[in-house]
Amino acid sequence: MFPMINIGPLSIQAAGFILIASLFIGLWTTTYFSKNLGTNGDMIENSILLGLIAGLISARVGFILQNPSALAGNPKAVFSLTPSMLNSSFGIFVGLLAAFIFAQKKHLPLWPSLDTLAPLFLFIFAGIHLSNYAIGNGYGLPTNLPWGIQLWNESRHPVNLYALVLLSIYFLGIVFHTKTFKTIGFLKSGTLFNSSLAAIGFITVITRAFIAEKILIGRFDLWQLLGFSMLLLGIALIYSRKYQYKNHISVFISLGSNQKPDKNLPEAISRLEDFSKIRGTSSVYKSKDVQYETGSSFFYNQLIEIGTRLSYHDLRLKLKNIEKNLGRKPDNKKTVPIDLDILTYDNDVFFNEGKQIPDPNLIKYKYIVIPLKELAPDFRHPASGISIEEIINQLKDDHKIQMLKEVENGFEA
Amino acid sequence: MSKKAFSILGIAVILISLVWIIMTPILFSGVQADTNTFAVHKGFQAPSFTLQTPDRQTLSLSDYEGQPVLIFFWASWCSVCKRTMPGLQSVYEEFAPEGFEILAINTSFQDSPTNAVSYFESQGFTYTMLLDQDGSLSRDYQLHAVPLSVLVGPEGEVVDVIIGSGMSEAYLRAKLTDIYRERD
Repeated sequence: MFPMINIGPLSIQAAGFILIASLFIGLWTTTYFSKNLGTNGDMIENSILLGLIAGLISARVGFILQNPSALAGNPKAVFSLTPSMLNSSFGIFVGLLAAFIFAQKKHLPLWPSLDTLAPLFLFIFAGIHLSNYAIGNGYGLPTNLPWGIQLWNESRHPVNLYALVLLSIYFLGIVFHTKTFKTIGFLKSGTLFNSSLAAIGFITVITRAFIAEKILIGRFDLWQLLGFSMLLLGIALIYSRKYQYKNHISVFISLGSNQKPDKNLPEAISRLEDFSKIRGTSSVYKSKDVQYETGSSFFYNQLIEIGTRLSYHDLRLKLKNIEKNLGRKPDNKKTVPIDLDILTYDNDVFFNEGKQIPDPNLIKYKYIVIPLKELAPDFRHPASGISIEEIINQLKDDHKIQMLKEVENGFEA
Repeated sequence: MSKKAFSILGIAVILISLVWIIMTPILFSGVQADTNTFAVHKGFQAPSFTLQTPDRQTLSLSDYEGQPVLIFFWASWCSVCKRTMPGLQSVYEEFAPEGFEILAINTSFQDSPTNAVSYFESQGFTYTMLLDQDGSLSRDYQLHAVPLSVLVGPEGEVVDVIIGSGMSEAYLRAKLTDIYRERD
């Protein structure tokens, strides 16, 4: 137990200090993570901030509503900065609700945003246990085990340390799996958040058994039952999202060609049709080669939306095959009969086989964004939730592109 | 991870948790068995003590059985204490007729008792001041910083422990209202 932390002449209450520190470290990690994933870090931060403010205010309001007598002598006390007059469960409820409503209004995509927040939730969970350890809250049952800690006149189970050890094991797994928060680590958005939810639930179920002060519902501890519900929910969500495929997943593919585009583009589309449903096709656009300045040659680009049941990996193999069959040489960047790039795969955000999905080019190049607007005017970026209009406004690509009309045996401006 | 591997792992974790929850009341009973232990923490019995007032009257915590008591550790050099104490006075005036008592324990082993007494009298506080001359009570109550407020219920159980300025007038009033409501 260490209720006060002494830094030089300064004495700080450990519990509050640890909670605020874990919040800051969690926020910092989430911001860093968000940059690497391409999710909307600013908006996620704003919704957390709004949630915190709404949570704090409503925690105070909740306390006053519960204890109206508190203000009897001095109504100004409603603004006092003491942390004792807070109804934390009401505050957490309103704070989460406010953050959720704000995120909805800003069109933040649910699952990629929650994945981004996973490290924050894990740090807060760790902070709660560490601060409880500091002030001797949530103390354990008496034990004779050699690692028992001396607390409240007994040698007791160090329950909060049990939780921290289990959490550290899970956290190390996540650090390893996300390559230290460089990628999301899973192919399906939401898996990271849902597995963290399940892990927190599981740790709660296991460690609450050793707690001395249980809140009993019948014979069972309320927190154990809540933890078990979190575990069930996490596992069910991972299963239904990852393994129960919807009929067809929507995938946007960018087609490009600088060799016989009038032949190669339609040919590629017809080959795609062999294993997927074509849901939409944009016009063909003509532009200078922006990625490898190849001088005078022009690129012809087109965007299509397909519906497929193929996994990302299998779909990529199929596209590589079409490229190869239409005469593409991987090391020849100048002569490109056909180039097929997966831009988005369902609404998922991930990094796989050296490729980031959604493709970062999606917000960089006119030859992708302009046809996308024609094909899907309501499109929103799966990671950041920004609309196609906003993507166009933020483009730095000033190359000219030209929409072409299709005529028999070729294209025409 | 394949669908099969995930299903096996998921079901295994769920089953382990379920068995653990069912076994908890059998393996880890002794729930809330701490009410007879003395400790300065919510739910335990407040450690008993006997101290002297500045005019050498001897008082014990047990003298106040059946009444809620606020034990408030303070020092005359502590500005947070001095900001908090007038608020305690107004709540005291309100609840003293119903039996509420405040024991303002001066940490005399690290304070000048003369300064402490003259400050206490100059403010006109009417609650009880006690002197912890040798610091033994401060040790028993694991005093890490002043002010430390320990609110004790009518049964002698610790209701709340707050380090710092948290025992404000409004908070104390809310807590006492709760205690008296439960008793009625």
